[in-house]
Amino acid sequence: MKLEEFSDIIHRCFRCGYCKFTYDYADFNCPSYKNFRFETFSTGGRMWLIYALMNNEINWSQRLANILYSCTTCGNCMENCRFDKFNDFLVDIIEIARIEAVKNGFCPEKQKSLLERTLNPEFYNPYGELNSDNQLLKEQYALPETAEWVYFIGCTSNYRQKDLRDATLRFLKKTNINFTLIDEHCCTSPLIRTGQTESVKEIMEYNIDQIKATRAQKVVTSCAGCCRTLKVDFQKHDIDMDVEVYHTSELVNELLEKGKIKFGSNFNKTITYHDPCHLGRHMGLYEIPREVINKIPCVELNEMKRNRENSWCCGAGGGVKIGYPDWAVNVSKERLEEAKKTGADMVVSTCPFCKTNLKDANENFDMDLEIIDLIEIIDSLELKLD
Amino acid sequence: MNSSEILKKLQQIVGNDFVSNSQEELYIYSIDPGASEPRSIDFVVMPENEEQIQKIVNLANKEKIPIIPMGGGLTLSGLVIPVNGGIVLDMKRLNRILEIDETNRYAKIEAGVSAGQLFSHLEKNYPNLEVSIPDAPPSVTIAGNTLIHGSGFLSQKYGNHGDMLNGLELVLPNGEICRVGSCAVSDHWFTRGPIPDFIGLFTSSFGTMGIATKLSIKLYPKPKMRDLVFGIYKQPELSTQLIWKVTQTELAEDILLGVQGKPDWMAGYVFIITYITGKNQEELDKKEKKLKRIYRKNGARYMKAPPRIREVFLEKPQFAAKAADFRKGGGFEYVGSFFPLSQTNEAIKRGIKISEKYGIIPTLGARVIDRAHNVMVFFSYSFNRADPDDMQNARNALHDTNVMSLELGGIPWKGELGAQKLILEKMDPNYKYLLETIRNQLDPNRIMNPGNWEVK
Ligand SMILES: Cc1cc2nc3c(=O)[nH]c(=O)nc-3n(C[C@H](O)[C@H](O)[C@H](O)COP(=O)(O)OP(=O)(O)OC[C@H]3O[C@@H](n4cnc5c(N)ncnc54)[C@H](O)[C@@H]3O)c2cc1C
Ligand code: SF4
Ligand code: SF4
Repeated sequence: MKLEEFSDIIHRCFRCGYCKFTYDYADFNCPSYKNFRFETFSTGGRMWLIYALMNNEINWSQRLANILYSCTTCGNCMENCRFDKFNDFLVDIIEIARIEAVKNGFCPEKQKSLLERTLNPEFYNPYGELNSDNQLLKEQYALPETAEWVYFIGCTSNYRQKDLRDATLRFLKKTNINFTLIDEHCCTSPLIRTGQTESVKEIMEYNIDQIKATRAQKVVTSCAGCCRTLKVDFQKHDIDMDVEVYHTSELVNELLEKGKIKFGSNFNKTITYHDPCHLGRHMGLYEIPREVINKIPCVELNEMKRNRENSWCCGAGGGVKIGYPDWAVNVSKERLEEAKKTGADMVVSTCPFCKTNLKDANENFDMDLEIIDLIEIIDSLELKLD
Repeated sequence: MNSSEILKKLQQIVGNDFVSNSQEELYIYSIDPGASEPRSIDFVVMPENEEQIQKIVNLANKEKIPIIPMGGGLTLSGLVIPVNGGIVLDMKRLNRILEIDETNRYAKIEAGVSAGQLFSHLEKNYPNLEVSIPDAPPSVTIAGNTLIHGSGFLSQKYGNHGDMLNGLELVLPNGEICRVGSCAVSDHWFTRGPIPDFIGLFTSSFGTMGIATKLSIKLYPKPKMRDLVFGIYKQPELSTQLIWKVTQTELAEDILLGVQGKPDWMAGYVFIITYITGKNQEELDKKEKKLKRIYRKNGARYMKAPPRIREVFLEKPQFAAKAADFRKGGGFEYVGSFFPLSQTNEAIKRGIKISEKYGIIPTLGARVIDRAHNVMVFFSYSFNRADPDDMQNARNALHDTNVMSLELGGIPWKGELGAQKLILEKMDPNYKYLLETIRNQLDPNRIMNPGNWEVK
């Protein structure tokens, strides 16, 4: 996609600033505006700068790249901008402007490393970890070559949040899901979010070929970022998918609803749920994780002040975690402060990337909370199978 | 000092992260969502407190650099775009709600507090109290709005928002801190007098007299229920009498008029919306009945508003920014002029003619202020930001509207430079003398938003 494709609508931004707020205007909810405070760092500021760039009124600069790259792609602006048929495209426009930044040599260095590592045949992941072809896991869990489902682990779960990965694997095993793993490469979310899209289609095609080789009809992922990429971005890149994509919370919910599993033990904790932006605002999956939580015996779910469409982002998305590590963790700190006010001692999410950043804030600021993924809770429960 | 030395000094005052002279900030702050042409800026600075503002003012005096205080920057009339370059002082980091005095019914806040923020704070924590906010986007500041004599949903009942100010704390152009209103004498920021009332000096002076850092705004009892009574009529010349009759009843919280060429079903009509409040449905029903009768007797027809329309008009603040999207062009600007009630009919009629002359779909209306002691009639011109000719067309229509307003004995509100010039041409010479004398006394170096209200 090119910026020119938005030339008919981008000037519709009125710079009115609804996008800065929560729906009730109680607080700023655009993480980058709340931190940097110049109008340039608001969504409206970005739209006007991009428009000015398209009209050659301003030039590319490091500062401009910095303004574009300090958006977490949280989607709050899409939710709160009141101009229909324009608001849907706000994050797309920012991401496409980042593609232009890359083309013009203004991709920030740290974000560049995401691409370098992902293209490196030793890694194929943005963390620069030796690529796991997942053979060991397949052996460990006695997984077949062909199956009905593929569990797409995602780089963050596979290289950073292995507890989450292992919990998912155990859960799938315990529930007798006929699944397997592939030698996956990065889902490309970090590349799309940072405008480094040149090799994206190729990588997507590789992954889809791997999935098809297993003859799976369904893919389940435990990562909000992978999930959005597989569900939305693959389509945008005209990838012939022909497979259904599930987030783990959707799968658990389906199994519960069909009566295939029941929880056989209690979870005596007060928890709060953090909506990952890429699951919530980007895909509208707010209620399903909550439905699952509410079916867990004895759990008490206390909502944070900002929840669902109104959630405060964890601060990690859109390349912000790598580009602005200190600020990213500060964004999570604000989330944990809000979580504390609910009286919960556990913050539950459904994304390994959120978990990473929330955990970092928890440790850096001694917040004394437990940060966990929903699938880890499910895995810790006794399951009764139909 | 050269520009980079000034930058360094500013960085020392507010920290590196909150000063910019980069092309990006200079671009964004050199242009607003209205129809004004961009004008150049030297620095954008975001102070955090009064002390920093004092230091910036002292530096500006020393270096003779203009300062332009900015809130939400949403007047649409270019008021926060410097005329002769200088420092745009974005005040939005001073955003603390300092006190809600429930007994004395006022809110004491810093100047960067947005209308949305205060409104939401009261909704959540003080359900019995409310503040009048404009139907501007919620990101506008209470300071920016009150300091331009703004108006909102309580203005028919209690006056314009400038009148709702109890007090201000300011950094004067000489860098000194000054309080005006009762807070100059008392710890309670509860009223303006009984001392010489200088709050007026700082309202609609567009930042030329000083920089407000704190203010107290009146709060009002919040009624339990609110509803609206919709009416329509064909002839604009019925407006004055109808408003007079409705305001005589003392039933209205707010009264709005609207004329819109689109959608088609609205074309050719004037709409009146009277907002009513009460303790229960019975009270609302009684008021509605009475208003229906008044509408009928004065040539208007009651119209039952469909739920969707009711929802739109009962929202606080109303989503007036929609006007910017009428033509999917991202821009609109309006002349809002204060008129005596007697001139309302003619103002509406002439406004429609101006729209027609410039080929712009008529979009105008009015908000009745202070029991019709003043009617703010607005003439809105949307334009396509991507089309320079269309923008120029809107500017021409705005100019004609300013001229027409003054001809009819009205006064353009929050006027852009052109409107200010027209007003000054008509102004009593001794008023101008007074204005200039005070300004010279307060600001001999002319650092505060020069180019605005220039008598000479
Ligand atoms: C869609 C739309 C609807 C609107 N509806 C209404 C309405 O219903 N009622 C209404 O009243 N207005 C309305 N407006 C006009 C305008 O947006 C508002 O009046 C707004 O509140 C102005 O506040 P601001 O913070 O944007 O002020 P700014 O534009 O930032 O500033 C206004 C003026 O005050 C000065 N100023 C700002 N802060 C300070 C300070 N701290 N010290 C000294 N001077 C200062 C500035 O220099 C400038 O001259 C509307 C505007 C739009 C775009
Ligand atoms: S993105 Fe939407 S809400 Fe934000 S400033 Fe632009 S038009 Fe307003
Ligand atoms: S996506 Fe989030 S961070 Fe980015 S501009 Fe929108 S609200 Fe701000």
